[in-house]
Amino acid sequence: MDYFAGIDVGSLSTDVVILNGGGEVCGYSIIETGANSTEASEDALENALAQAGIGRGDLVKIVATGYGRVSVPLADRKFTEISCHALGAYYLFPYTGTVIDIGGQDSKVIRVGEGGKVVDFTMNDKCAAGTGRFLEVMAAKLRVPLDEMGDLSLHAKGEVQISSVCTVFAESEVVSLVARNHPREEILRGLHRAIVSRVWSMVKSIGVNGEVTMTGGVAKNSGVVVLMEERLGKTIHIHSEPQIIGALGAALLARRAFG
Amino acid sequence: MTRKEYIIKQKKMGRHIFGVFPAQYPREILWAMNVAPVEIWDPPLEITGANAHLQPYICSVVKLGLELILQGKCDDLDGFLFPHTCDSIQNLASIVNDYLGMEKPCYFFYHPKAPFRDSSRIFYMEHLKGLAALLKQQLGPLDFSKLNQCVEQGRQVTSLLRELYNMRASGEISASNVQFYRVIRQGEFLLPDDFIPLLEEFLTASKGRSVAGPAVILSGVLPNPPEILTLLDELGVRVADDDFLSCSRRLLVPFSQARDPFEAMAETYFAMPPCTTKGSSIDERLNYLFGKIEGSGARGVIFDMVKFCEPELFDVPQLVKELKERGLATLVIDSELNQGLSGQLNTRVEAFVEMIS
Repeated sequence: MDYFAGIDVGSLSTDVVILNGGGEVCGYSIIETGANSTEASEDALENALAQAGIGRGDLVKIVATGYGRVSVPLADRKFTEISCHALGAYYLFPYTGTVIDIGGQDSKVIRVGEGGKVVDFTMNDKCAAGTGRFLEVMAAKLRVPLDEMGDLSLHAKGEVQISSVCTVFAESEVVSLVARNHPREEILRGLHRAIVSRVWSMVKSIGVNGEVTMTGGVAKNSGVVVLMEERLGKTIHIHSEPQIIGALGAALLARRAFG
Repeated sequence: MTRKEYIIKQKKMGRHIFGVFPAQYPREILWAMNVAPVEIWDPPLEITGANAHLQPYICSVVKLGLELILQGKCDDLDGFLFPHTCDSIQNLASIVNDYLGMEKPCYFFYHPKAPFRDSSRIFYMEHLKGLAALLKQQLGPLDFSKLNQCVEQGRQVTSLLRELYNMRASGEISASNVQFYRVIRQGEFLLPDDFIPLLEEFLTASKGRSVAGPAVILSGVLPNPPEILTLLDELGVRVADDDFLSCSRRLLVPFSQARDPFEAMAETYFAMPPCTTKGSSIDERLNYLFGKIEGSGARGVIFDMVKFCEPELFDVPQLVKELKERGLATLVIDSELNQGLSGQLNTRVEAFVEMIS
C-alpha cells in the first residue's frame, strides 16, 4: 500500500502524520522541535513510522510545512502551514468555514472554501502576544503547568482584567496581581480573555464563515476555547490532537499531489 | 555601473549632482540646468544617527535619507531638492535645512493636492517657474530650447517605460521580476541620455514569454524589500503590473501636446495616475487598480507597505475592502526598508500565492 507523510515543523513542536492511500491516519507523532529542525523532523518521522508499522521506504511522498519547512531535506514538496491547517481542518470537519490556529509563535485565522482551499487569511506575526508563547511565559510566571491552565481558569469565581496583551507588559501586570494576592484562577481567566481578544480582532477582520475549527496547541486550553466560543456564539470543533492538523493537511497534500 | 560610480563620472563631466527626495519633481528642469538628480529612496544603511532627530513612528524612507546625510555620504552633492510629498519629508526638509547647519543649497518643491481647481494649475505653474528662478541663482540661466529638448527626452523615457509595462501586463516579457525592477530603478539616477538606450536594450533583450504562474499586482511606495521580488520569482509568480509610487504612478504619465515646456510639465502632473501623495480619492485609486487588474489578468494585489507610511496606510483598509468585495485576493505586508523578509512575512507571501494558484 502507498503511504504519505506530512511533517509540520513548528516553533515548539514538530508533528508528523502518516496517511495510507485511503486517507486514514495510521500513525502520528508529536515531539519538541528543540534547536535542530532537521533532526526533529527525522526523529518525529521515525516515531510516526514506527507507530504505523511501516518503514521509510513505504512512503510515496512527503510534504513539509510549518516555519521550519525549509529545513526538512527529506520532503518532496513544501506548503505553508496556512494551506495545511485549512485542508486538515476541512478534512476532519467538512463544514469548516473558518479555522483559528493558535500556535507557538503566531496565530492565524483562515477562511476556508470548497475542498479545503484557503479563501482568505490573516496572521499575527508582530509579537508573541496572542500566541502559545504568551501562555507559556505566563504559566511559568504563575507556576502552573501549561496543560492545567485552562481547566484551572474555569474554576475562577471572578476575573481580573489584563489590560495589555503585549507579553512583556502583561507579565509585569501579572506580577502586580500576584503581589496583591489575586486568586491565580482569576488571573488565568484574565490572561485567557486577553489572548481571545487579541485573536478576536483577527477573526473580525476576516469574518466568520460557516463552522469554526480550532487547531494548534492552544486549542487544548479549555479556558481559551470556552471564552472563544462565548465570543463566537457557537461551538468550536476541536480534534483530540489539535497540534497535528497542520501535519495532517501536509499529508493530505502529499496524497493529493502525488497519490 | 553602480549609482556611486555614475555620480562620480557625472561630476567629472562637470554636472551638478543633486540629492532628490521622493517623489514628484520636475526632473526636466534639473536636466536642462546640467543637474544630475539622484533620488534618495532606500540607501542600504544601518540607521543609527537619524533616530536622534526623528520620532520612532517616522518611516524608513525618511530615516534612511537623513542617515545618508548624517553619515557624510552626501558631501559631494551640490544641493538637495525636497518635494512636498508628505508631512514626514516636509519635516525632513526642515531638519536638514534649518537644524543640521548644512551649507548646501536646499530647494523645496510644492505641488498642489487634490481636489484640483483652476487655481491649482496656476499654483503649480508658479512653483515650476519659481524653482527654475531659484536654481538660476546657483546654476545660471535656464536655456529654454534645452528645456524643450529635455521635455522631449522625458516623453521618450515615458514611452519606453509604457511599452515595457504593456509587454509585461500582456505576459510578453521574459525578464524576471528582479531584473525588471533593477532596470526601472536605474531611472532614479541615470540621465535620459543613458537611461533611454538602457531601456531600448532591455526591451529588445527581454521580449519573450513570461512565466506561466499566477499574476499579481504590487502596490505601495517602492519595490522594497527586494527579497519579495526574489521570492515571487522563486514561486513562479509574474508581477503583471504595479501601483508603486516610485514606479508606475509617477512614470507612466500621459503625453502632453503643449508646446510650452512649463505647460507640458504642468499637464503631465495633473494627468498623472492617482496617488496618495497627490491626495487622490479612493474611487480614483480603485478605478486605476481595477484597470490594471483587467489589463493584466492579475489574480490579486499585494500591498507592500513601508511601515509608518501614513499616506499609503490611510488608504489601504478601504482599498482592501473594495477589492475583496469584488472577489479579488489581497495581501498586506509592511516592513522597514532594507530589513528583508522575515520568515513570517515569507510565509504570508507564500500562503497568498498558494491561495491564488
